[in-house]
Amino acid sequence: MDWYPLYNSLRIALISSVIVFFTGIFAAYYIARMNRAVKGILDVVLTLPMVLPPTVAGYFLLLLLGTKRPLGIWFMENFGIKLVMTWYSGIFAASVVAFPLMYRTARGAFESFDETLAHSGQTLGLSNTYIFWHIRMPACRQGILAGAVLAFARALGEYGATSMLAGYTPGKTATISTTVYQLWRTDNEALAFQWVLVNLAISAAVLLTVNMLERKSKGK
Amino acid sequence: MKKLWAAVMAGVLAINILTGCPGSGTESKTAAGNMGDAASSETIQENDKIGLKATVGGTKDQPAELLIFAAASMTETMTEISAMYKDIRPDVEIIYTFDSSGTLKTQIEEGADCDIFISASQKQMNQLDISADPSINTEGLDFIQEGTRFNLVENKVVLAVPDGNPAGIEAYEDLGMDKLSLLCIGNEDVPVGAYSMEILTSLGILDQLESDSKLTYGSNVKEVTTQVKEASVDCGIIYATDAFSAGLTVADEADKDQCRQVIYPAAILKGSNNKEEAEKFLDYLTRNESRAVFEAAGFTMAQ
Repeated sequence: MDWYPLYNSLRIALISSVIVFFTGIFAAYYIARMNRAVKGILDVVLTLPMVLPPTVAGYFLLLLLGTKRPLGIWFMENFGIKLVMTWYSGIFAASVVAFPLMYRTARGAFESFDETLAHSGQTLGLSNTYIFWHIRMPACRQGILAGAVLAFARALGEYGATSMLAGYTPGKTATISTTVYQLWRTDNEALAFQWVLVNLAISAAVLLTVNMLERKSKGK
Repeated sequence: MKKLWAAVMAGVLAINILTGCPGSGTESKTAAGNMGDAASSETIQENDKIGLKATVGGTKDQPAELLIFAAASMTETMTEISAMYKDIRPDVEIIYTFDSSGTLKTQIEEGADCDIFISASQKQMNQLDISADPSINTEGLDFIQEGTRFNLVENKVVLAVPDGNPAGIEAYEDLGMDKLSLLCIGNEDVPVGAYSMEILTSLGILDQLESDSKLTYGSNVKEVTTQVKEASVDCGIIYATDAFSAGLTVADEADKDQCRQVIYPAAILKGSNNKEEAEKFLDYLTRNESRAVFEAAGFTMAQ
């Protein structure tokens, strides 16, 4: 069995989780502070990828990143890199689809944060950066970790946008999900089943992690 | 905090499950099935209204519906022909499902309502035809109405390149060279994919391309065509007709030594409720009017 899809899936999921972790927290922190109208609009736009079919997200990404589309042309001319049909195309797809999970969970955590804690920090002369990393983040740890785990799981399972952006090139862009579909299509049921088992094992591990996090928070 | 977390989890998981993406194959299967069901129940209702015995399918008095499953590469030509057919037979409504012949074959096998099947290769037709060699029709499927099957048109397998041919691919032989970085072909269950593999095998470069990860797979010929058109790949192996309708440049054409003839067989299905109308339409496909449409798109009529 060629393990490339597992490696590629994990690599894509890990990198996109890191991207989404920071951008999601950043967006959640700043958007919560904006005025109502802007917040409402941004909130809808940023959460859309969660409720849209991944193929729609993939379509929009292709309109942007395709070889003959604005960003695609720009990157090709300036850096000589192609943004579609490569392994890292999967990162774009997975990040966009997983972002809302991180963003929404982090925002929920921030909203339940007791602002008087931050205010008392300010009266003690602490900088906002210090307050963010040493007071706000530890207090919201559970929610933020959960968001990160969910984003990772979603990124790992991404199929629709990935198949449109990265295609299926064995040994290059193949992920677990695109491999399962490909094997099923070409009537290779035994191998498809093995990959399904691999996927089940990873997903179960992720859910177990979420449960352990929850138990830890209960114990507190 | 705990409550909130639980709520977020539940909400997020629910949404995640809702938007989860099952194989698109299954989706289209159900879609096709539902379409068929809806169509038949409508006909039954209409019959009830005018007080007739509920028979599914059309007779001379009421509009008949023809469900046609055709290879994706016939999308443009068949749509044009059905528009012409509407002029001479306004009482017949033609409903197409275009997809790769492999997918269509699976849908028929799974019981999708279908009157006429036109495949881009003898293989999928044989797999449904009980009179075919049991080594091809391994499951002993019997879906094809005896005596209705014939060879409709012939296509060519070509190497298509995007505008300006960025990688400078001029012939099938170039596929073995370093200048190629990515070639898009159909899956092996897609006729054009099977033909592509035949060509690459005859050139002796299939294994090399696979181990260099230079092959990317599309699930039907239109997907391959789009990848080439969008210049996501250096080139793709598609049919002459698809290259023609997408306005793509053809770099090379497969000859008889590289690839067997690409014949599109057509047949009426055993399960059809409307064999008489289906036969009339198939007959129309061989007449001069249809012939002109097929030939304009790059098909030749099968002998």
